[in-house]
Amino acid sequence: MFQVKLSLPNTDPAMVLDVLTSCIMWFFYALIPCLLIDGVAVLPAPQNLSVQSTNMKHLLTWSPVVVPGEIIDYSVEYQGEYESLYMSHIWIPSSWCSPTENPECDITDDITATVLYNLRVRATLGSQTSAWSTLKHPFNRNSTILTPPGLEVSNDGFHLVIKLEDLGPQFEFLVAYWRREPGAKEHIKMVRNGGVPVLLETAEPGAAYCVKAQTFVKAIGRHSAFSQAECVKLQGEALSLALALFAFVGFVLILVVVPFSIWKMGRLLQYSCCPVVVIPDTLPGVTLEGVSLVTSSWP
Amino acid sequence: MKAQRVPLWLLGAMLLQCSVHARGLRKCLISTDVHRAGETKDAFQNVTILSALETLHRIKPLDVCCMTQNLLAFYMDRVFKDHQGLNPQILRKISSIANSFLSMWKTLQQCQRPCHCRQEATNATRTIHDNYSQLEAQSAAVKSLGELDVFLAWLGKNHQGSSSI
Repeated sequence: MFQVKLSLPNTDPAMVLDVLTSCIMWFFYALIPCLLIDGVAVLPAPQNLSVQSTNMKHLLTWSPVVVPGEIIDYSVEYQGEYESLYMSHIWIPSSWCSPTENPECDITDDITATVLYNLRVRATLGSQTSAWSTLKHPFNRNSTILTPPGLEVSNDGFHLVIKLEDLGPQFEFLVAYWRREPGAKEHIKMVRNGGVPVLLETAEPGAAYCVKAQTFVKAIGRHSAFSQAECVKLQGEALSLALALFAFVGFVLILVVVPFSIWKMGRLLQYSCCPVVVIPDTLPGVTLEGVSLVTSSWP
Repeated sequence: MKAQRVPLWLLGAMLLQCSVHARGLRKCLISTDVHRAGETKDAFQNVTILSALETLHRIKPLDVCCMTQNLLAFYMDRVFKDHQGLNPQILRKISSIANSFLSMWKTLQQCQRPCHCRQEATNATRTIHDNYSQLEAQSAAVKSLGELDVFLAWLGKNHQGSSSI
């Protein structure tokens, strides 16, 4: 029969302790370079990401990363709700902010649908990059703040004309106007574009009208509040008569004043260029030589 | 396969009025902005996915609801996912359209009852999926993106209506 005798090596506790201690020491020695790298090279991630959105203009801002003497670049990426549901690994670089030096980014051109968007930012300095910092609550453009539009009302006596603030192609305007008198009916007009004069009504002269407007954004199905009403009085016929009278008076004045001025100037020129010497009647037949003989004989 | 540039049309906002039934479902307002990305060089002239003349144009008004949802799902579930392009500009355009479709889909779900799909609509949808499956995924995706103008024109024609305000 063949026997195999197995024997365990001597397990001296002191030796085991020595080995363990060496391992731990070498482990910490190996960590030292990592600690040194952590202390110098890793950039902090940008903090306090937030989106301010007014009238469909969306601005992502964050607290700047400060490294004395250095200029930090930031990269912004976004992920629409479609990407987050169907392709969660896809993040798209922002149109204008990959990279950017300012701690803000106009993401209006990136947010093109009325869905939730995730946004993230990281800082870069040379070869160092920070971790991504993600917006805490995804942003939907239907949360934009809509302000009442700027409104200029004018008239040329017969026509009520308005000019609305140009807010871009996504904005339409609802304009309400009425005659300023008790029981007047309110008229509503839809204006597609801002920035251009729009005729509201050919009005009766002397009438007073009030106008107010609100914006409507089809993409998010929301209106702004109405602007403050602005009222104008149409001068109409009275203004025309006053203008005609003024014009007539001015014309008459011109007809009188201009010829008189010409005549006066002519006389002035005549006296200054060619003065006429007139001998008085008390000295008839006296010549200049005769005057000098008379005066020289006086004592 | 080399990724191909795809045509994506610029269309203005579209309104979709839901509730065509007499029982008075409330009207919906759906709008989307779709942007143009560029021209395409379509190498697969003989294969069409949506096949405007044969498939979409034969859809009857009763089937528009079902076809709209089916085609939106087709693009979201297959076309956009199969497109593997990495060009950031193309990615942005496709993201814009995909998210607009998602927004439209969600609004349709909220606004109306589930569409009743008749056999004609189901057959037409199957034809489109079969056409798509004939090609390799990336090529099929590129081709379908190239025919997006067909789908958008069909949407505009079938969902034109007054605003609900």
